[in-house]
Amino acid sequence: MSLSSSLSIAVQSLNAASGALQGTNNNIANANTPGYTREVAILEEMAPVNEGNFSAGSGVELKGYQSVRDELVQTQIQQETQAQSGANAQLASLQQIQPTFTTSTQDIGTEMSALFSSISSLSTDPSNSTSREAVLTAGQNLATAFNTASNTLTSQQAGLNTQVTQDVSQINQLTKQIAALNPQIAELKGSGQDGGTLQDQQDQLVLSLSKLTSVSVTQGDDGETLTTGNGTPLVVGSQSFTLQTTTGSDGMTHVLDQNGTDITRSLTSGDLGGTIQTRDTTIPGLLSQLDTLANQFGAAMNAAQAKGYDQNGNTGGDFFTLPATPAPTVPPATDPYPGAAANIKMAISDPTMIAASSDGSAGSNGNLTNLSGVQTTALPAGQTPGDAYASLVYQVGSLTSNANAESTATTASLVQLNDQLSSVSGVSIDEESANLITFQQAYEAAARVVSTIQSLFTVTMSMGTAAAE
Amino acid sequence: MRVTNMLPDIQYQMQQSQQALATATQQVSTGLRVNQLSDDPAASANMVASLAYSANIDQYTSNASSILPRLQTADSAISSVVTSLNSAITEGTEGANGSETSANRQGIATQVASVLSSVISQANASYQGVYVFGGSDSTTPPFVQASTTYTSSQGSAASPLAATTPLTAGSVTTISDATTGQTMTYKAAAGDTIATLQSAIASAALAGTLSAGTTATINANGQLSIGTNSATAGIAVNSDDAVLGSMTAASGTEVANAYAYVGNSDINTVQVGDSMNVATNLPGNQLFTAGPDVIGSLSNLITALQSGSAAQIGSATAAVSTALNYISEQRIPLDNTISQLNSQDSYLSQEKITLTTQQTALVGINLADAATNLSQAQLDNSAVLAAAAKIMPQTLLQYLQ
Repeated sequence: MSLSSSLSIAVQSLNAASGALQGTNNNIANANTPGYTREVAILEEMAPVNEGNFSAGSGVELKGYQSVRDELVQTQIQQETQAQSGANAQLASLQQIQPTFTTSTQDIGTEMSALFSSISSLSTDPSNSTSREAVLTAGQNLATAFNTASNTLTSQQAGLNTQVTQDVSQINQLTKQIAALNPQIAELKGSGQDGGTLQDQQDQLVLSLSKLTSVSVTQGDDGETLTTGNGTPLVVGSQSFTLQTTTGSDGMTHVLDQNGTDITRSLTSGDLGGTIQTRDTTIPGLLSQLDTLANQFGAAMNAAQAKGYDQNGNTGGDFFTLPATPAPTVPPATDPYPGAAANIKMAISDPTMIAASSDGSAGSNGNLTNLSGVQTTALPAGQTPGDAYASLVYQVGSLTSNANAESTATTASLVQLNDQLSSVSGVSIDEESANLITFQQAYEAAARVVSTIQSLFTVTMSMGTAAAE
Repeated sequence: MRVTNMLPDIQYQMQQSQQALATATQQVSTGLRVNQLSDDPAASANMVASLAYSANIDQYTSNASSILPRLQTADSAISSVVTSLNSAITEGTEGANGSETSANRQGIATQVASVLSSVISQANASYQGVYVFGGSDSTTPPFVQASTTYTSSQGSAASPLAATTPLTAGSVTTISDATTGQTMTYKAAAGDTIATLQSAIASAALAGTLSAGTTATINANGQLSIGTNSATAGIAVNSDDAVLGSMTAASGTEVANAYAYVGNSDINTVQVGDSMNVATNLPGNQLFTAGPDVIGSLSNLITALQSGSAAQIGSATAAVSTALNYISEQRIPLDNTISQLNSQDSYLSQEKITLTTQQTALVGINLADAATNLSQAQLDNSAVLAAAAKIMPQTLLQYLQ
């Protein structure tokens, strides 16, 4: 074993310690970088050198850096993110719809009660013009409450419709970027290297995509293959498949795959899935119930009016004006009374036209019993007006509560999963600080070896000189 | 487990505790556990029904308060009528005494006429512009003075009269006016109608044959009323026209049916409970002219006092007694209704309290609970913040310096 070979080992040791320090340095630098996966320096013992009857170690070699990943947890985080984004999208819409169906003031229930109270009050003095005016005002307030509730739902629906287009646009951008990274990562892996930074970037892009839609990730030789929940390809190798949007016959924006097939209904999670779910299922369901209530309540009031006589002795005319009801279809339409809540309005503005009388005499209040009776009589849908509204209130509250519970649960679950991922891939400053000292000491030790060998060289070179004499 | 960075967990915990703190603060400030539907969807839905019922309770209470004074006015009026009838009976009993002179009886008749006037006044009682005995037609006085109204002795004319009703050609109607001392004789020609007779009477009034202001009008009951502006003017009418009825009216002063009921027979009801409706009015015709006719019995007593025998006066007085009994019976349901309304008012007040308690249980929160929750949330939040403050600055680097 020569001094030269010892020096060579010391220099390799310096390089290895320096490389490990660089890895530690990079970890510390990216400790707070979102999506960064910590890297560890791969140090490997050099092959021994055989000299005669013995073999001697030949030092250390820095083979490279390895990112510490957990693909399973990463996939779980993507899936949980899809669920969380879907729940959040629904929650955001429902939280805006919810105040319209409060039980405090100016909601349908309160205004309905006010109308029946005004009718009851009129019964104590059916000729009183002020009481008659009060009935008209209460009727108008109720019609306005129906209009407001309907407008809130439809404007939410319109806002969600715009969101669909924005989401699809973002999805297309992300899939394009993910596809662009695939060949680069495949090349690195092909050469036996770790994906490293590029893989981190791609994971982050897939996570962003998971916030938007349901996505399934499959690893292949040419990188990650991404598909939507129903198998529609988004990214295959270096190719990304653009989703398109078009306006359907229902006036809503529909999502089409690269072949022009409508995949709107199959998008179930992520912001896009939650948005479509709320736009196409939740809101139409509520709107249908609201329209049914408005139409059947209005029709019941009109029927009660027709049983009596107004103050002029004429048969009672309509109390509310309702839009025409389309003919029933097979299968039945989702909303059998489209636009009823949005367009219900008072049919009369003259207080004398309230049909309070049951016999045509101006002072009779006999027909007010029929008008009041609407409050306690089941509508054709099977419930009294108050119960029908209570069902609507329950449904809005329940949908919001469920979305909130799902959002909270997925958030808590994501915290746990991120903890798990962090325990594997995250950077610990304390740990890196310890590594820093370790590699610093290794470097110093190697440097000391170099220094020692240098001294030995000097002594060796001085052999036979004055000093030796 | 390898722990790398506690910050995300700390941030999550801080968010959770701050959310709990915000919820607790809102509960304390509003006194409500349910501030939005999603806080408790079932309770929110139940509140819809509860609030609707609460509004109904309020309205029932308001209805009861509104009609109670009206019914009390009616009761008070009937009470006065009872007093008046008792007075009339006393007067009639005195008049029936065989020793009374004709002049005394005339004087008593005048007093009974005053009683009749008082009864009519009570029959036209109103509360805040609503005539309580007018049926559903409560905006005008139900009993109107018809001066002298004649009907056939067998009853009213076969059908209600109108201005266009034709008179029997050749029939003769005589109208004697005690004030002018003259008599108008009208012989109907072919094609004459009630309107023609009305014109002739107006002309006679202008000519002075009849007192100024004498008119012939058709009242709400379709009867022809002939009279003057003065209630005391004595007008006697006789007619052989079957259309007008066989007029056999007494002359000199107003006679029975001198007051016409122009209200209707409708009874309005008002809801004062979920299954409780009460009548808000008692039609005057049912009370004062149907059955033992209150007004008619008084008029008959006046007539008997003016021209009848002691026996006839006694009989007329007995009729007033029967009317008194009748009206006293009619008062009982009214008094029952007033009593029911008072009870219902108490019940509704109690129901309202019960309902408010139920609503508080549904969506409200006990103040002590809310304060405790707030205190607990504050404590939790402080603990999380204190823990964060302790943990976050600690790194190995601090110890390596």
